[in-house]
Amino acid sequence: MPGTTAFPDEEIIIEDIGGGGGGPPTPPGGGDDGDGGGDDRNRRRKWTPSPKRYSTAITIGLVSILMFFMALASAFIVLRYSSDLWVAVHLPRILWANTCVLLASSFTLESARQRLFLADAAGFRKFWLVTTALGLLFVTGQLIAWRQLVAQGVYIASNQASSFFYIFTGAHAVHLLGGVGALLFVSFGKFQKTKISLPAAAEITSYYWHFMDGLWIFLLALLYLGK
Amino acid sequence: MANDDSSGANYQESPGTGFLSRGFFATNHKTIGLSYLWLALFSVFLGMAMSLLMRIHLAWPGAHLPFLSSLGSSPDRFAALTTLHGSLMVFLVLTAAPQAGFGNYFLPLQIGAREMAFPTLNLFAFWATAASLLGLTTTFLIPPHPAITLWIVSVAIFCVGSLLNALNFSVTTIDLRAQGMTLPRLPLTVWAWFINAILGGLIFSILLAACVCLLSDRLLSTHFFPMLDSIANQPPGVIADAVPILWQRLFWFFAQAEVYVAMLPCFGLITHLVSTFSRKPVWKERLVVLALCAVGLFGFCVWGQHMFSSGMNPFSPLVFSLLASSLGLPAIILLISWFGTLWNARVQLNTAMLFTLGFISLFLSGGLSGIFLARHDLAAAAVSDDFVTGHFHLVMGVAATFAILGALFFWFPKMFGRRLNEPLGKIHFWLTFAGVYCVFMPMHWLGLIAHSPFLSGSSLASLTAAGSAMHSFITVAILLTVSAQGLFLVNFLWSLFRGETILECNPWRATTLEWSVPSPPPADDFGSADPVVYRGAYEFGVPDVAEDFVPQHVTPEQVVKVKGSPARKGKFVK
Repeated sequence: MPGTTAFPDEEIIIEDIGGGGGGPPTPPGGGDDGDGGGDDRNRRRKWTPSPKRYSTAITIGLVSILMFFMALASAFIVLRYSSDLWVAVHLPRILWANTCVLLASSFTLESARQRLFLADAAGFRKFWLVTTALGLLFVTGQLIAWRQLVAQGVYIASNQASSFFYIFTGAHAVHLLGGVGALLFVSFGKFQKTKISLPAAAEITSYYWHFMDGLWIFLLALLYLGK
Repeated sequence: MANDDSSGANYQESPGTGFLSRGFFATNHKTIGLSYLWLALFSVFLGMAMSLLMRIHLAWPGAHLPFLSSLGSSPDRFAALTTLHGSLMVFLVLTAAPQAGFGNYFLPLQIGAREMAFPTLNLFAFWATAASLLGLTTTFLIPPHPAITLWIVSVAIFCVGSLLNALNFSVTTIDLRAQGMTLPRLPLTVWAWFINAILGGLIFSILLAACVCLLSDRLLSTHFFPMLDSIANQPPGVIADAVPILWQRLFWFFAQAEVYVAMLPCFGLITHLVSTFSRKPVWKERLVVLALCAVGLFGFCVWGQHMFSSGMNPFSPLVFSLLASSLGLPAIILLISWFGTLWNARVQLNTAMLFTLGFISLFLSGGLSGIFLARHDLAAAAVSDDFVTGHFHLVMGVAATFAILGALFFWFPKMFGRRLNEPLGKIHFWLTFAGVYCVFMPMHWLGLIAHSPFLSGSSLASLTAAGSAMHSFITVAILLTVSAQGLFLVNFLWSLFRGETILECNPWRATTLEWSVPSPPPADDFGSADPVVYRGAYEFGVPDVAEDFVPQHVTPEQVVKVKGSPARKGKFVK
């Protein structure tokens, strides 16, 4: 039963979380990173790749994701100021509530990591699950925003502004769900296999999560100022 | 778990027994690297067959082709052929082979790691690439409308694969280097793969974003790129002016940098080969690293060069023209370093070195015509013309292929434990070398003739006649060049099974770590002991040392010193 285990700082180790890149993490036991496999385990155990590779990977992966959104953002700016057919989208009010939820999730995530640092496993798990719930709440809120727009008759193909609204929010939600997957993985992952320590996994997930948070603020500002 | 079983089984096998027997889910970096090379080999022959069809159609439009008789009457089919030739060659050959193919195989070996940083991710990237090849090839067989959608999906999948590859390469280089493998000691091949991975991680995101918008236009009826739907299946050039500026921007932002994505690993390979076969250290090695970085940086900034003709702010062509011209600086540094290394060297003229020198020659002549294209006023006049086709193929397509072939001749003994046949390789080289010049040089002339503004009517008519003769000449030359590749295929397949066996680890007397292990390398690469690196990657002609090279992994105590004989010393030390 999760939530009852105490986590010593360094002993609990989890598997490869997939190395960033924006995708959801590898499901537990889904990928073995190549050095599993019967007879070879003992021989290959001698060489363990540096654990720093996870944080390097998340940094590079985030730069790639940033480029993806920057390409979309530059397309938005180019079309916004060159198109005669631009019809502004009235942003649904719920977006502001969603933003608050996402910001709050960043704070709970940091609180969880604080608890982990203080070896308070139960507190860590509580805050961590709250973060996950807030993340899911945000995605639900985004879906509600979509439904509100649809109710007003604003579809993805209505005009360029609405296309950008749906593409931005959709792409961000997909990336954020990857982050939710990582959060769930840290909560429920199998910790027997020696790959990465729990604090390291939590740290990497937090980088990704805060980045998604900042990215959302940027996209919202773009949509708000560009309307 | 299937994954575990296959990778476990793979380690028991000796590598080099063939592609299909290795299983499809092995995460071993060598298996994946080889699989990329097989994909590239398949794609290059398919792409060549397509270029042959195009040339036959251009020279003899009425010719009846066995299974493509509709080609002449259908511009759609011809456009599809061009697109497919380009996308197969650029994505699956030029991008995949030097970076993902040789890189996956040799990057871990050269830095002393036993695996890539994320092997499962690596396997996923490979299958994404394979899926995109399947998708791209299928587009030719289905009706145009779904074919275009499938093409875009395939390119998007290729982007995902390349992004994962880029991530894996950069993290492996940053975090998995062996003890002693400091940055200045990295082989230049590794530098090139690393810089390229970073560049790829940036630009493939942009192409992915463009593909997402394009797919949304096609499937969800959005209007990111208005008018694109109606012109997408028209032959290129007819209404090129109508292509939306936004698409051009996004596309060229990717595509201009993509040229350098294909070329950067080749620069690394060529520098490595020049040094090894000249038996001399790389001349100004640090400067070469800086030049490689500069190629990456400038390559990322010159996208606007392709849009001189499409109406920008009047100052931006100047900026981009300057940037494009400034790419000449790192290129010149590389060239000077290659010549500096070759200067006064005892060059070993084997096939790998011949292809290396061929690359330098092609790069030089292709680069000279690039100077014309970097001038925005000239480029505006010559854009989308034979001149560009000639320039682009000479400097990117063929030169990069020469680098790939050079690397293949160099590393074949390491990968398969056998040598490629040298005499056959040399004949193949000379035929190809002469062939590509006969194909692409006349294209430059055709481009220049077509845009000469000082022609009167009669001389124009005679030139047009000369032009059509030249088209026939090009087509005959390409027929011969393509058939010369049959020699390579025979050599490759024959050597794979019957070639001269290599018993020693280091047949070329090279310095880097991959030559310290048996050929082909064992499943765990370095055996029981982790490699330790003691010196830089290009220690050739070191004074007071018995051999003319010192490998990176040899401890200072193990280096055999010369016994103070001046004659012998003089022989090895320049």
